[in-house]
Amino acid sequence: MNHLGFELQPLKIASFDFTCCEGCQLQLANRESTLPEFLALVDIRNFREISSERHDDYDIALVEGSITRSDEIERLKTIRARAKMLVAFGTCACFGGVNSLKNRMPQEAVIREVYDGKAIETMPSMRIGDIVEVDYGIPGCPVSKEEVERIVVSLVSRSPVTLPTYPVCVECKQRLNTCLFDLGEICLGPVTRAGCDAVCPTGNTACLGCRGPAEEINFPAFAQLVRDKELSMADMREKLAFYNGFGDYLEEET
Amino acid sequence: MHDLRFNIPGQDLNLEPFALRAPDFQKKCEVMITDRGYKCRITNIVPLSGQERLFLLRIVDPLERELFNFRPGQFLMLEVPGYGEAPISISSSTSNHEFIELCIRRAGHVTSALFEAKQGAIVSIRGPFGTAFPMEQMKGRNVLMVAGGLGIAPMRAPLFWIGNHRDWYRDVRLLYGAKEPSQLLFSYQFEEWQKVSNVKLHTIVENPDGSWRGRSGMITTLFDEFTFDPEETWAIVCGPPAMFKFVCNYLDLKGIPMNRMFVSLERRMHCGMGKCCRCMVGSTFTCLDGPVFDYWSVMNLKEAI
Amino acid sequence: MIYKVISKPEFISFIDAIVKANNAYGPRQVDTGRRGEPIYQFMPVTSAGEIAFDYTATHSSAKHLFLPFRDELSKFSFTDGNWEQEVRYDAPPIVLIGLRPCDINAVNILDDVMLRGPYPSPYYLARRRNTFIIGMDHLPLADCFCKSMNRHTVNHGFNLFCSDIGDRYYLSINSANAFGFLKEFRLEEPSYEDNCNLIERRKMIKHSFTTNIEVTGLPVFLDIEFDSPIWQKWGDKCLSCGSCAMVCPTCYCYSVEERFDIDLKGSTRQNHLYSCNLVDFAQVAGGHNFRPKNGDRLKYRYYHHYRGFAANDNQQICVGCNRCGRACLAGINPKDVINDLRLERESCMTCVSTSPDRT
Repeated sequence: MNHLGFELQPLKIASFDFTCCEGCQLQLANRESTLPEFLALVDIRNFREISSERHDDYDIALVEGSITRSDEIERLKTIRARAKMLVAFGTCACFGGVNSLKNRMPQEAVIREVYDGKAIETMPSMRIGDIVEVDYGIPGCPVSKEEVERIVVSLVSRSPVTLPTYPVCVECKQRLNTCLFDLGEICLGPVTRAGCDAVCPTGNTACLGCRGPAEEINFPAFAQLVRDKELSMADMREKLAFYNGFGDYLEEET
Repeated sequence: MHDLRFNIPGQDLNLEPFALRAPDFQKKCEVMITDRGYKCRITNIVPLSGQERLFLLRIVDPLERELFNFRPGQFLMLEVPGYGEAPISISSSTSNHEFIELCIRRAGHVTSALFEAKQGAIVSIRGPFGTAFPMEQMKGRNVLMVAGGLGIAPMRAPLFWIGNHRDWYRDVRLLYGAKEPSQLLFSYQFEEWQKVSNVKLHTIVENPDGSWRGRSGMITTLFDEFTFDPEETWAIVCGPPAMFKFVCNYLDLKGIPMNRMFVSLERRMHCGMGKCCRCMVGSTFTCLDGPVFDYWSVMNLKEAI
Repeated sequence: MIYKVISKPEFISFIDAIVKANNAYGPRQVDTGRRGEPIYQFMPVTSAGEIAFDYTATHSSAKHLFLPFRDELSKFSFTDGNWEQEVRYDAPPIVLIGLRPCDINAVNILDDVMLRGPYPSPYYLARRRNTFIIGMDHLPLADCFCKSMNRHTVNHGFNLFCSDIGDRYYLSINSANAFGFLKEFRLEEPSYEDNCNLIERRKMIKHSFTTNIEVTGLPVFLDIEFDSPIWQKWGDKCLSCGSCAMVCPTCYCYSVEERFDIDLKGSTRQNHLYSCNLVDFAQVAGGHNFRPKNGDRLKYRYYHHYRGFAANDNQQICVGCNRCGRACLAGINPKDVINDLRLERESCMTCVSTSPDRT
């Protein structure tokens, strides 16, 4: 691409995981049909899951997972200091994710339940953005490889990195799905950021908001809708809390 | 049993039944109707200020270069392949068939990509689109032009026009204001406009610096420097909405009928062809019914200002 | 137009033949709702048996078969220091079965929007020309208001239109293609009785509407009520989710996006169907949003539908199918909004002597 008189350079990229399932990183190796082209866009400096090479000179750090131990905080700060750009990669990094479910219980109870009382250090799950400055967030549980490809292409071509501003309903209607509210379920589609191509509602599963809130959502209207349909407010709150992306609205609600 | 399939290949469609706007549209039908643009080479890039540059474009194909005609005030869709399109007002003379000049501020991602592009880069244009300033109707009258900031960009085409048809008009006056002295663009042409085109030029800046020896303040304060006959004067006003509202209301008070004041509106545009509805102002398309409107129409457009 | 009648079994075999020989779309039941009601959509069909001939209304319109939700406008391929642009607008032929009069009227409105004026859209034209439309009448649902919009009958824009007159269909044949296909099947000339039955059927449909909206003079009302508080009231309910625009048979506003191919050797310009209710519809490059509030955007959609746009001869583009009303989770529907608007104006009229200025 030199019709404009400049060449585009691959991104020096590194990928790190904190408290998570590493499923988002695995997505990077997904979509085999475009994998060679995708790998040509990135110069991988550090990525435990696919390469044994370790380099500390990277421009972009993809950070997956939430923060639940004190040593993770130090490691994250080092990464931030080295990276020119830090990307919160996936729902756990952006919002705290499912890990945050444990924040509702006393930590001793959590340790007892999961580790059978072994001496384990753990603290309430925190977002990456709670600890360091985040340049971009790519939400999703897991992230959509298609969206990651698009964002990487934007970064390589020095175009602005954008996410859809509108809710999942737009994409869901485009797939001619039956609205889950019509089937008697609470779906977070009307308040959740699109970009997933409505994958869950298309599979007849209610949206749980893994991509966090869309821009300027009308939360009071959403709560009213749940009441009007005579659906359970407790169920709504449970769903909103699942990925921890709607904390601000839940507080507003209560 | 007959074969019930209809095989009307899409590419063989007969496009004739539709009303064509311009005589040269037959050719344009093939070129523009299909979202295909004219390929252009950026032959020169002139820095104007920290944020604005003047791009000189030359249409690569000689036939297309000959065909490309526009009227002062019209705009085109500039395509930077890979990055997308942006609407840009044409800043050059209608009689200049060799080069198209575009005065561009770095604002969105298309213009940012253009600012990265080097001389010799190949881009594409579709157009021209939209309405123009009614230069013919102004024949025999005084022309009062008021430009604020980047409003000078759409003003250059009518300025060139007046230079080429100077005997058509009586008094021509340009009031030009900017935030800072360095943002008065095209200062290298001021002398040419004054001496060659016989345009009376008044400049003003809002925030003067040490080197500025002219006036400072809002552009409307320039009106105390001269008088005009509202019966015989037509006005062209380009600039931010807040500015043209003030200026046009002043001119209205002075007695210039609203339908003799012309303004150029800016909106987000995606198609330029009156389809995507992104540039709607009230019930009007900025791309088809504008960008040049008389002030009366703008006053009647909901949400215009 | 040529009129014929066809027995129902013969009609089914005609549909079966045409469906089997072509890419066809027709109404199918895709789900059962909360109260046991069937939910229909226009879906691909491969035999007449799959088509729900007695369907009520589809949840989504058939618009996307003419204006796809995402459509490729052109492709650039980059070569050494240069590029080439490729524009394609060929469309594979399809048969579309079971459109209601309001749906066909909606396609006619889209024809006006996309094909009239100085820049007809070849992408739309290709699809439109290659679509064979078979229309069918129906008794209105309780919330249909196409009669109020005068869109409950249709006399052009289809290839074949079928009215149910008991044991037979009364066919209006409106294209040489349709006539040609039907030659293979047993048709009869309409008898005096058939004609009477058709007229009775039309009368019955006309008198079955229970939802009526007064739309006369609405363009002026809308202009006068531009700053009315009712827009904020309804805007406060609006989720800005764009569902209304997606299911609407005439909402056509779109956005254009260009993306690099993953190998950076080319790029694609696409249009995406957008909705004027979505938050950034009127946002410009500098970040300024001309319609920042839900109410502003909702109002804008009503403007487009019930006032009409200048470039479109100011015609109202709503056909009264109420798909937006059914799809809206917040319960916003044209009937209530327009009645509210009228009520607002009328209450203002009654108090005009004491308080001409509302605050």
